[in-house]
Amino acid sequence: MAYSNKVLDHYNHPRNVGSLDKNDAQVGTGMVGAPECGDVMKLQIKVNPETGIIDDAKFKTFGCGSAIASSSLATEWLKGKTVDEALAIKNTDIVNELALPPVKIHCSVLAEDAIKAAINDYKVKQGAAPLLQAH
Amino acid sequence: MRDLLYGMSSLPSDYFAVFGIPVTLALDLPEIQRRFYVLSKQYHPDRFGRASAAEQQYALDFTSLLNDAWRVLRDPQARAEYVLKNNGLEAGDSRGNPPPAELLEEVFELNMALEELRQGEAEARGPIGEALNRFLALREAIDTEREELFLRYDAHRQAETLQQLRALLNRRRYIENLVRDAQQALS
Repeated sequence: MAYSNKVLDHYNHPRNVGSLDKNDAQVGTGMVGAPECGDVMKLQIKVNPETGIIDDAKFKTFGCGSAIASSSLATEWLKGKTVDEALAIKNTDIVNELALPPVKIHCSVLAEDAIKAAINDYKVKQGAAPLLQAH
Repeated sequence: MRDLLYGMSSLPSDYFAVFGIPVTLALDLPEIQRRFYVLSKQYHPDRFGRASAAEQQYALDFTSLLNDAWRVLRDPQARAEYVLKNNGLEAGDSRGNPPPAELLEEVFELNMALEELRQGEAEARGPIGEALNRFLALREAIDTEREELFLRYDAHRQAETLQQLRALLNRRRYIENLVRDAQQALS
């Protein structure tokens, strides 16, 4: 299967690989996985307490090129957004941006789930009510 | 031999029928193996050298079906997937059944250690070995649970049990892959 140039670019030059301190109150961690392909994705956000804006986002994904590209793109998009804006990111946005073929759509779903899970973790740490499960 | 084939124009409809039993998840394997040997002998194509062309063909088809059936039914995982498929449940589909967070944490840590080992950090072998042991224990626990679901399905034939079984099989396959990765890395 041919990957789009955008997928290849993110795969070869992933943005924001790494990790943030998961015990930091300003950091939200999302860990998601898909048993059918063995993918596992960790995505973290760091929210500025003054502005409520996501200052930093990191990820580490073990999986196929599309899963890596989806999470790499997600971290790029997350930076500079408020938590509520970040919640509006949909897997279909990722599919369109990366031109993912139908068999790889689940990779974008995983990335959206990871965003939601990270935000959820952050909100719970801040004493807010947890999000409703999106999927 | 002629009696055996008389009136048998169509092959058994499923792998269980090949052995003359209803759909059964908790199989008595030694008994099935015994029947496999008996049927293999009975339908061995060599015994049909003088039979009609139709009978020869039937013996050939039956033998091939018998071998397929034995290969699938002897393996609990393959057997369960076969029953799921016959009930319209695709084995790989895990929607609504995300793996538990602690398991994902473990999987992530294992992958980190595997990556370190690939990059030449020999000390990563320790954590990989420990992770392997945990996954082996997990697989054993899953196999026990699988056996319980097998018995429950055989007794009550509930679709709900099959759903649970599918989730369990997916988890097992996930763990199986991790065990394989870890073993490969350590070998």
